[in-house]
Parts: sequence; structure tokens; C-alpha cells
Amino acid sequence: MIAALARRPRFSLPGITAIMVKELRGRMRGRRAFVSVTIYTLIVAGFAWMVGRIIEESVRQNFGFSPQYQSASIGRGIFVALMFLQTLMISVLAPASTAGTISGERERQTLDLLAVTPISSVAIVVGKLLSALTWVFILILASVPVSALVFVYGGVAPDDLLRGYVLLFVTAIAFGALGMFFSALIRRSGAATGLTFVSVIVATVGLTFIWVFLRVSEANNLDANTLAQRRPPEALLYLNPWVSQADVACGAEGGSGSWCSVIAEVTGANQVFAQPVQGGVIAPGAAGNCFSDGTTTTCKAVAIDGGGIPAPAPAVGNDLVVNDVISGPESLRDRFWPRSALTMLLIALGLTAASVQLVTPTRRWRPSLPGFLRRLRPRRSA
Amino acid sequence: MTAIVSTQGLVKRYDRTLAVAGVDLEIEEGEIFGLVGPNGAGKTTTLRILATLLEPTAGEAEVAGWSLARNPNEVRRVLGFMPDVFGVYDDMRVWEYLDFFGRCYGLSAPARKRIIGDLLELVDLADKRDTYVQGLSRGMQQRLCLAHALVHDPKVLLLDEPASGLDPRARVELRELLRELRVLGKTILISSHILPELEELCTSVAIVDRGRVLASGRIADIEKRLRVGAVLRARVIAEGEELEAARAWFSGQAEVASAAILPDGQVELGFRGDEIETAALLRDAIASGLRIASFSRAASDLEELFLQVTGQDEVPVQEAVA
Repeated sequence: MIAALARRPRFSLPGITAIMVKELRGRMRGRRAFVSVTIYTLIVAGFAWMVGRIIEESVRQNFGFSPQYQSASIGRGIFVALMFLQTLMISVLAPASTAGTISGERERQTLDLLAVTPISSVAIVVGKLLSALTWVFILILASVPVSALVFVYGGVAPDDLLRGYVLLFVTAIAFGALGMFFSALIRRSGAATGLTFVSVIVATVGLTFIWVFLRVSEANNLDANTLAQRRPPEALLYLNPWVSQADVACGAEGGSGSWCSVIAEVTGANQVFAQPVQGGVIAPGAAGNCFSDGTTTTCKAVAIDGGGIPAPAPAVGNDLVVNDVISGPESLRDRFWPRSALTMLLIALGLTAASVQLVTPTRRWRPSLPGFLRRLRPRRSA
Repeated sequence: MTAIVSTQGLVKRYDRTLAVAGVDLEIEEGEIFGLVGPNGAGKTTTLRILATLLEPTAGEAEVAGWSLARNPNEVRRVLGFMPDVFGVYDDMRVWEYLDFFGRCYGLSAPARKRIIGDLLELVDLADKRDTYVQGLSRGMQQRLCLAHALVHDPKVLLLDEPASGLDPRARVELRELLRELRVLGKTILISSHILPELEELCTSVAIVDRGRVLASGRIADIEKRLRVGAVLRARVIAEGEELEAARAWFSGQAEVASAAILPDGQVELGFRGDEIETAALLRDAIASGLRIASFSRAASDLEELFLQVTGQDEVPVQEAVA
């Protein structure tokens, strides 16, 4: 057994290297890579600056006090906006960079030249996916310094940033694998790219819309046993990276806040506000906006509707020194995004395996495509 | 000598059509073997099966002792393939193109460097080393594609219509190149529907039509076996009645089926004999006092063979020759 393994040379790794060297040579040649990284970083930085200005102005106008008191929420706002924007850009760039890879080889009639070499279909698909993703990863990493500027404002912990970036990478891998799959399935790059984007929109917007529809239509349909509202399965939202980023934002809010209410809505968990305690009594009207300098904790009084806190709230915006903050019994941190990320990675794995099958010329398994798709793959003449 | 490529009963069926219907081939080491047939005869399908790009519906094939079905990867290592239509990558220099395929075969960096230099010399592209591949002419791309099929020093080369789309000069260059490769000990399997290009090159041919091998072996052997007729043309230095007398003389000879005077004054003969009898006819003609300025076979042997063999079903032999 071991002798057999030793005798047969393994070529998948050199094969992957060969494909990656070739692909990256093409992608990184000349000024193209430099220009695209620059443009990407400029967009991210410009957007971050504008979002920062918008939040500062809205704080000044709506709350009537100097924005520096709201530094943390400005930082958080910029962070969330950056992650949302990058998720959007990655959702476009990752599939676009993979959707033409295999079909492009077919169109240029170079796939046969590859298929007669000993490199495996696995090496072809994985090599192409990795090199396409390398390019996207470089863009993502180039934005790290810009994103790190939110630490100047505060309100975001380094591990929040890490979570956000992990999700960006997962998004790139999943949507990249999707583009790869269509590229292997459909002979024409244009059609493959089109179908990839349609699929991305269906997976994100479409499934989310269905979730919202089900949520609304079942809102009054209570569970017979628990009398709780029935919720559509949260799995419908696993392919929507923005919901996952909302979960990361919820983590940055410390487990309670406006993004957390989104996650509470999705997961059905009860959102319990972090409750400031003042002299043994729960401080009224000051939930979720507390800062600690180590000895004293100050909470901003904010208006809470339906918080169940009966005492008259202090004037909004006033500082309230509290002795302690007890977090809610159920922190909403990390409730959603790890499952979503795992689902996306598993789907990426499945799509990659399917792509390998489709690239193998002498495969036994052939999908029978519906007619409208079959027309996109003109039959090879004998 | 043992066969380096052999197929037994290869069949490839697409949904409705039978592209290859039981092909048996035996190709010996060091041969240049021509696969001749009209478009759609199954040449490309056969080559693609041998190149491990298609799985045969039935039948078996071996290349250099490796079974296509059981050891496709070993087959790929001893095989170089040049498809009939092939593309080139954009955005790649000539040396990068060869380097890429060298990596695909797991060659080490120094080996790649040496081989790329050698191959570019061989296909006469050494001065195009840093040119972008898409900037090469069609003939140069063809030669580059041939070079790529040689990076791993394969024993067997499969060339599908290698000369299609080439101008005459490029065609001659390609032919010289293939001769050189044969000297290097490669076995070359080459398909074409353009017959003269194979005739000068091939040691053996197989004539295929509608997925079947109709005849195979050395060209002379096939010819002998089939007793194929030939068209001979003689330029006799004579005019008027003298020329008519020459025609009459020819038509009275054995194995001459017909004799006619062409508008340009040549005498055209339908001849059933083989080469020895052709020589005898010429000797007799000279002995009988005819002044013969030229004497040759009109059509290419292979072309004739081909028409005869492929036309056997519907076209009578004589018609096919005429």
C-alpha cells in the first residue's frame, strides 16, 4: 500500500503550482494589479471618510452635542459601513474573476492542451480558483490599513475586525467557487458570468426576500406549544454575507444594540440589553451605551421604547454614572455568522468538487442539463 | 518490431451518431503513420480517444504498453498531442508558454530551462522567446504548439491535421520538422484529409471512412493488395496521325484499360498494372520507337487509393479513377 503510494508520483501539488504561476503571471502582469489595488483602496478609504462625516454630522444635528462624545458609535458605524461595502465589492469581484476561467479555456480551445498533461482536474480547478482568489485576497488585505483606522475612533475591538475579515474571505471563497462552477458548466464565458451574478443575487437578495415574506406571513401564526412566533429557518439567510456582517456588527456592539436587534429578529433569540446598574438598581433608560474608564462606568441615556423599564428616563444625552453593567443573560454575540460561514464554505467545497467533475474530459457522470442550458453548450462535432 | 500504439475494436458513440465504429490500428515504433479520411470519418475522435480526452464506448487501446483505460496518466507521460484546433493563452510569452507545460509535466527548473532552449531551436522560434504568444503568426503558433507537445520528450506524437491553415512554406517547414522528429526516434500519428501532404511523409497509412478502417499498412502494400488502377500520362513527341498511332499502340497493350489524347497533346492511360508493369510499359513503348518526353502517374497515389477505397460502396472503381 505504502509502496504503491510511493511509486505513483503525486502531481496535484506541482500541477496546482503550474496553474497558479501561469494564472498569476497573467493577472499580475504590468500595471494592472497595481492599478486595481490602488482603485480598490481609494474607494474603501473615500467611502470610510464620507461615512465618518455623515455620522458625525448626524450626531451633531440629532443629538446636539459634539461628535467626540459619540466617538465609539462613529467608529462602529464606519466599521460596519466598510464591511458592508467590501462585502458588496467582493460579491462582485470574486465571481467575476472566476466565472471566465474554465469557459475561457474552452473558448480559446486550450483546455484540451491542459487535459492531456498529467495534471489532474483537481489541480486545474483548485489552481485556478486559488489564483483568482489570490487576487481578491490581495484587494481585501490592501484595505486592512484603512479599516484599522476605526481603532482611532474606538468602539470596535480588534477581534471584531478579524471576524469581519474572516467573513470577507469566506464570501470571496464561496462566490468565487460559484463562478468557477458556472464557468465549468457553461461553455461561454458571457453566459457563465451572467448566470453567476444571477445566482449570487438569488442567494443573497432572493433568499432574504423569501425569508422576509415568510416572516411576515407567519408573524401571527403562533406555535401551539410555546406561543412563540414561528420564524422562517435562519438557514435561508446563511448565504447572505450582509446578515453575517450584521452579526459581526452586533458583536462590536457588545451583544446588544441596533444590529443585534436584526440578529435577534433573524435567530429568534431574545435580545436583552446590557443593563446599567446604579446603586443596586437598574438605571433607567440608559441601556447599551455604556463606557468604562476602569473605575466608573458612564452610560449615555438614550430613548428606549418598550424596554420595559418603568422609571422615568433622564434627559436623553445626559451622562449617568453607574456602578456596574450586567450583560443580558443571553449575549447575541457570534450566534449567526459562524453557521453562515460554515455553510458557505461547505457549499464552496461542493461546487469545487462539481467543477472538477465537469472539467474531467472522460468523466462518467454527465449532468443532463435542462434544454435552455443545453443550448448554451453547443455539441462538439465528431 | 512491436506495436507502440495499438487499438482493438475502438467504438465511440455519441447520442445518435457512431463516430468511430470499431477501429483496429497497429503502429510500430518509429513510424510516421497517417490517418487519412474525409471530414467526419472519425479521425479526430480516434486521436482524441488515444489522447485520453474521450472515453471509448467500447474497445481497448494501448500506448507504449500502457492501457488507456487503466493507466491514463502513464499514457499522458509518453504522449504528445497537438489538436486540430487549438488556442493560445493571451498574455503569455513564448518561453512562459513552454515553461507552463514543463511545470505541468513536473519538470525541474533547470530541466525546463534547458528543454525550452532546445525546443525553441528545434522549431526555429529561438528569436521569439520573449514575444507574446498571440503575436505569433499562425505557422509559428503551430510550431509552438508542436514544441509544447514535446516538452516531456514523449515517445508518441499525435498530430491532428497539423498542416491545416498553413501556407505552403509553413507546410514545407512542418514537414521538415516532422522528418527531424522521426530521426529523433519519435513515433508520429498524423491525421489529415489533405492527401499529398501525407504521402511524402508517411511510412504507413490507414484509410478511414465513416468510423471504420478500410485499409491500412504501407502505401505500396495497400496498393498492391487492392490492385488499384492508376492514371498515367505520357507526352509523346508526335502530332496528328503519328500521335493517334501512339495512342493506338498504347491501347493495345496489356493492363491498359483506356487511352485518350488530351487537349494539350498528352496521352492519358487508364492503367491497371502495378509499378513493375508500369516500368515494362514504358520500356516497351520506347522499344517500339515512340519518342517519350515525359511519363508519369497523373494523380497522387494516395489520393487515388483513397478515392477508390472510400468510394467502393457507391462508386465503381473505374469511375472513381476517372
